[in-house]
Amino acid sequence: MNILANLALRGLATGAVYALVGMGIVVILQTTNVMNFAQGDTGMFVTYLAFFMITTAKVPYSLVLVLTVVAGALIGLIVERFMMRSVRSRSHLSLIMLTLGLSLVFQGLAAFLFNTEPRLFPPLVAGDSIKLGPVVLSRQDIVVLLATIIVFGVLYLFLYRTKQGAAARSISQDEYAARVLGIPTPSIYMLVWAIGSALAGLAALLIVPRFSLEPSFMGLIQVKAFSAIVLGGMDSVFGAAVGGLIIGVVENLVAYQFPAIKDSFMLIVVVIVLLVMPQGLFGKRQQRRF
Amino acid sequence: MLAIENLTVRFGGVVAVKGLNLTVEEGEIHALIGPNGAGKTTVFNAIFQVVPYTGGIQFAGRELRGLPRYRLAEIGVTRTFQNLSIFPSMTVRENILVGAHSKTQSRFVAELLGLSGEPRQRLAETLDFFGLSSLSPTYAAVLPYGTLKTVELARAFISNPKLILLDEPAAGIPTSEKGTLKGVIQRMRDAGTTILLVEHDMELVMDISDSVTVMDFGEKIAEGTPAQISADKRVIEAYLGEEIHAAS
Repeated sequence: MNILANLALRGLATGAVYALVGMGIVVILQTTNVMNFAQGDTGMFVTYLAFFMITTAKVPYSLVLVLTVVAGALIGLIVERFMMRSVRSRSHLSLIMLTLGLSLVFQGLAAFLFNTEPRLFPPLVAGDSIKLGPVVLSRQDIVVLLATIIVFGVLYLFLYRTKQGAAARSISQDEYAARVLGIPTPSIYMLVWAIGSALAGLAALLIVPRFSLEPSFMGLIQVKAFSAIVLGGMDSVFGAAVGGLIIGVVENLVAYQFPAIKDSFMLIVVVIVLLVMPQGLFGKRQQRRF
Repeated sequence: MLAIENLTVRFGGVVAVKGLNLTVEEGEIHALIGPNGAGKTTVFNAIFQVVPYTGGIQFAGRELRGLPRYRLAEIGVTRTFQNLSIFPSMTVRENILVGAHSKTQSRFVAELLGLSGEPRQRLAETLDFFGLSSLSPTYAAVLPYGTLKTVELARAFISNPKLILLDEPAAGIPTSEKGTLKGVIQRMRDAGTTILLVEHDMELVMDISDSVTVMDFGEKIAEGTPAQISADKRVIEAYLGEEIHAAS
């Protein structure tokens, strides 16, 4: 029982990682209908900047946290303004291919500038692990879990309680109608790409101490995050968050018995879920979705 | 209010609208009618800068050419669509609020806590005006077509537009509900909104319009009051021609 509880809770901590990345992807997806394949590597790239700020420039960690989020947002603004905007009217598929290309550019650039040697990244909060009854969690795990809850709360309020959020959701459903109704679509696109990419930076920075910093470290995480949002229904931050947590827990439990199929098992589950409920667990077909 | 001068729209070799002059006076319901393919919707699309055109389109003395689409709502021009363009996974309330975007101040904290006073009141008034109050929290996806047409009208109306372009508001509406629709359009006009109406339902057009412009093959063939139009020989020919064509 103790073992199971431990595995489940540690799985939750891993799932929070997927949830964080997934929510950033969904915010952009929900507005632009673009699956941002560069989400993970945008985060990876700004995490390198964070690494040198901490180790070389000795900038305080709290300030680095802020700067990383800002750097992510800036990348988002640049991507939207100078790449997405000019291609948007021509081909939707090209937009998605662009993000895929961007992902490779970030990886190549990181390898070129910083080499591929793995680096250990200091955690935001160091110190002994914390015992919660029978369960042991590292302090960083707890930070990631808390961040997931906070990010979900903030995104929910943004999307469902502000006029910019409503505007963002309306664009993906009918862009032309949204414009005719007076939604300044160019600035809403900018806003959403900034938020999504800022989240990419935040997520990567919080995650990286669990792994090591190298150009490819977000690769598998991003695949899991995609699985999370497909499982959760593609169009809700709630679905992405819960989908991420489910994947984290299940995968950790499976890994205990069958370590070899840890990564593939969840993808099979996702395929089965899609066959049975194509809209995902919390997708559009349901009436209430948040 | 709206002045269209010598408007011409070409698609390749086809001339969809040819030298159209059209003036919509403030406070009227002005119907634009004509057989299918006469170019009515193309006129709407030109006003909204969707298709390239030559000629001039002025609203309240201001040339619209080159204006980004979302700026039209800001200066008081909006439209509804022939094929519904509702946001299905949003509630009626949310759908209508999107229409108010350009007219609401963004006070972030106030919004997080719920709407601040003025937009909330405007929303309540609008819901009431269109008889949608009880449907406010319902998701658009589950509502019948006729109701969604009304939601679309409310969404366009909440921003207090000076001019609304209605593209076939009666299409797909059951006959029993057409009386209500007439009343709603007339009350929109009485509330101070000028209306340019494209519609195939002649009974509705003749009942509520203040003036009517008839187009055929991209050109204006007649203009006047509903009474003058229903007696016009060219109009009858254009429509009879269509009916014979449709029957064959």
